[in-house]
Amino acid sequence: MSTQVHANLTDEQVRQISGDLDEPEWLLEIRLEALEALDDLDMPDVIRTPGRDWTNLDELDYESLVDPLAYAEEKDQVGPDEADVLPWADALAEHEDLIREHFGSVVDPQENYLTALSTALFSTGTVVYVPEGVAAEDVTIRTEMNSRSLFNYTLVVTEESSSVTILERQSTGDDLDGERYYSGIVEVVAGENSSVQYGSLQNLDEETYNFTVKRGDADTYATVDFIEGNIGSKLTKTETSTTLDGDGAETKLVGAFFGHDDQHFDLDAKVWHRAEHTTADLVTRGVADDEARSVYEGVQDVGKEAWNTSSYQRENTLMLSDEAEADASPKLIINNHDTEASHSATVGQIDAEDLLYMTSRGVSERDARNMLVEGFFVPVLEEVAVDELREDLEELVARRLRE
Amino acid sequence: MSSEQDHLKDTDTEARFDFKQEERAAVRSEKGLTEEVIRMISEDKDEPEWMLERRLRALRQFHEMPMPTGWPGQPDLSELDVEEIVPYIRPDVDKREGVDDWDELPDDIKDTFEKLGIPEAERKALSGVGAQYESEIVYQNMQEQWEEKGVVFMNMDQAVKEHPDLVKEHFMTTCVPPSDNKFAALHGAVWSGGSFVYVPEGVTVEMPVQAYFRMNSEGMGQFEHTLIIAEEGSEVHYIEGCSAPKYGTHNLHSGGVEVFVGEDAHVQYSTVQNWSKNTFNLNTKRAIVEAGGTMEWVSGSMGSKATMLYPCSILKGRGATDTHITIAFAGEGQDIDTGAKVYHNAPNTKSTIESKSISKDGGRTNYRGLVHIADGAENSSTAVECDALMFDNESTSDTMPYMEIEESKVDVAHEATVGKIGDEDIFYLQSRGLDDDDAKKMIVAGFIEPITEELPIEYAVELNRLIELEMEGSLG
Repeated sequence: MSTQVHANLTDEQVRQISGDLDEPEWLLEIRLEALEALDDLDMPDVIRTPGRDWTNLDELDYESLVDPLAYAEEKDQVGPDEADVLPWADALAEHEDLIREHFGSVVDPQENYLTALSTALFSTGTVVYVPEGVAAEDVTIRTEMNSRSLFNYTLVVTEESSSVTILERQSTGDDLDGERYYSGIVEVVAGENSSVQYGSLQNLDEETYNFTVKRGDADTYATVDFIEGNIGSKLTKTETSTTLDGDGAETKLVGAFFGHDDQHFDLDAKVWHRAEHTTADLVTRGVADDEARSVYEGVQDVGKEAWNTSSYQRENTLMLSDEAEADASPKLIINNHDTEASHSATVGQIDAEDLLYMTSRGVSERDARNMLVEGFFVPVLEEVAVDELREDLEELVARRLRE
Repeated sequence: MSSEQDHLKDTDTEARFDFKQEERAAVRSEKGLTEEVIRMISEDKDEPEWMLERRLRALRQFHEMPMPTGWPGQPDLSELDVEEIVPYIRPDVDKREGVDDWDELPDDIKDTFEKLGIPEAERKALSGVGAQYESEIVYQNMQEQWEEKGVVFMNMDQAVKEHPDLVKEHFMTTCVPPSDNKFAALHGAVWSGGSFVYVPEGVTVEMPVQAYFRMNSEGMGQFEHTLIIAEEGSEVHYIEGCSAPKYGTHNLHSGGVEVFVGEDAHVQYSTVQNWSKNTFNLNTKRAIVEAGGTMEWVSGSMGSKATMLYPCSILKGRGATDTHITIAFAGEGQDIDTGAKVYHNAPNTKSTIESKSISKDGGRTNYRGLVHIADGAENSSTAVECDALMFDNESTSDTMPYMEIEESKVDVAHEATVGKIGDEDIFYLQSRGLDDDDAKKMIVAGFIEPITEELPIEYAVELNRLIELEMEGSLG
């Protein structure tokens, strides 16, 4: 079943984007194949229960949202001298072989309609390359979207025994009337014994539909940690996942979200245990206020060969309003019995006793509520090793509470 | 251990379940599902016109609905060919509504239930027994003391004639309409046998009533319907057991259970399911619970090739309560996909779900659950706990809960754990002189104890015994 035929997209547009970035022929081919595949690809999976699709991605009018050639952005790409943090065109000039080896190796360009759309049309990108043994701190990537639609691509490659911390921020700049579409794909290839911390903070304006996939592949003894803060957007569909491909690999997926008005967050956290002695910890906390709605799917998949696996997952949602809605599905798929796994999920409101205690100490009800919400995020914030990201996230939560 | 337990323990459970009798049919339908087959079943039962119409409507819905596919990780139903199933076999007995004396049954049928231990249990512990052989109830009895209080316990076919108003109102209307899913529609078209239980206001039935379902013939489908109506302030415990011998071709069991729990009433529904390992077990079980009422589901799912069963409570009235306690055991070639569904549709409702599963020798268990808290169901709470135990690396264990929360003033918690049998536990037990197998059996017995505690002793012992046999690999 194809989702929709995108009549106003053409080969010529794709050729032009690719030409503007001075891309080699092989990459243009991948883009054109992705464009052609659109007719046959489905939307990404969403949770379905009898009578209900929890996020309706078919509903969006991609034809009017996507204006492939009118892309505009502001971007900062900064990193230390020891590592390469390069805009897409520069990266292709310097590291074509590396990109050719890894592009599409973690996220299949034709995985679904939206990844294919992103692959065919991405006009901006960043490559982070950390050579063997190098420790690179404070890589920051900031993308400010200034057009109706923007497609962003990021590739992170760490060589053996290197490490990197990356902070990515997505926001909206110029005011535009009407709805927008932001799409981002992040591939992380973590070499043997290397360590990647990838933090991102999404604060797009609330007329923007947001689709992102961040996926890591961890080699032997490698660590891939993702930190995912979702504050903005009208609708977000995002997957953050790691495949633990090498023995002893580890991952931590930490998520925080705060939805208000009629925001819709569909957040997936997934881990694929594919080797021995691997460890995963998935922690997500979020708040839903007004008519906001959160959909959470967490998957811990333990493969047949994944001996001696440890895998943990927690998800907690705080409901601040009767009109808000929270859906959660933490799934365990276990094919190897030598596993210690657990998951838990809770949904609740602010504890009435805590509130009473604070108001009885002279704190106004509103302040007390705000303090409790800020306190609710603490266990997640504690997991964030990048100071700047933690502070930004705290500030955005506080600002939203003051609104 | 009491002598009763000893007696049951000594019973050869394998021989009890896996024996076959010659097929004895007075009427046997054609294979497959056609309007002619439905009309034949209805005519053979001498049903009123309205029931025939409900059947035909369900048949149309069955043909219109797609097979359930595309659920993540769902059991493989591709080998199930509904057109090859014989939906109706009326056993060759004299009395259509079932005899009330075991001795009046033909010897081989009586022998079947004797082997299963049903008459024995009736004498000792039960308020009444209904026993179904193939498509119809062949034995039905209720102790007089309950009948005097107005309790009705009869076979469903008879209830259509004797209590038409109650049946018309409740039968596959609001609780399990045929449109619910493809197999509910199938059930609505070909249903036969099963129990009708009516407990009047304020009456407590102190001993459980029991129904036992036995499939004997090869390639047949069994589609019993159970309708329980517990009026305000009443209380009843219904137990069902089932079994079938193993044949080369597939059997289909697709029962329908509807429970109406009145205000402040209390119904417990216990099942120990041990279908043979060529049976597809696809049931729809649901309760509607009024204000202050309590519904308790206790399920042990042992047998079958594939089970898809998610007993459901709709908490309709303020302060209604649901409890689910389930255990699933999947051995070689089995896919037991089971769980619980609860809809919190009123304030102050409460549910607790406790699910345990064991998988072994390549079996797969899955907990698939749905907890829905509707907007306005304030101060509702739900707690879901799933634990899975895995024996070996051929087996699979999944947990797929879904929680839909539309109300903020709630308390929702889900927890699940998976683990292998602890080497240390086994070492400890071995160091106390137990061999490896006995140590494992003991650990499993401890693991499932929260479930067996809820069952009457006969069932608890039977469940334990069945699990022991599974562990020994001696059940076919």
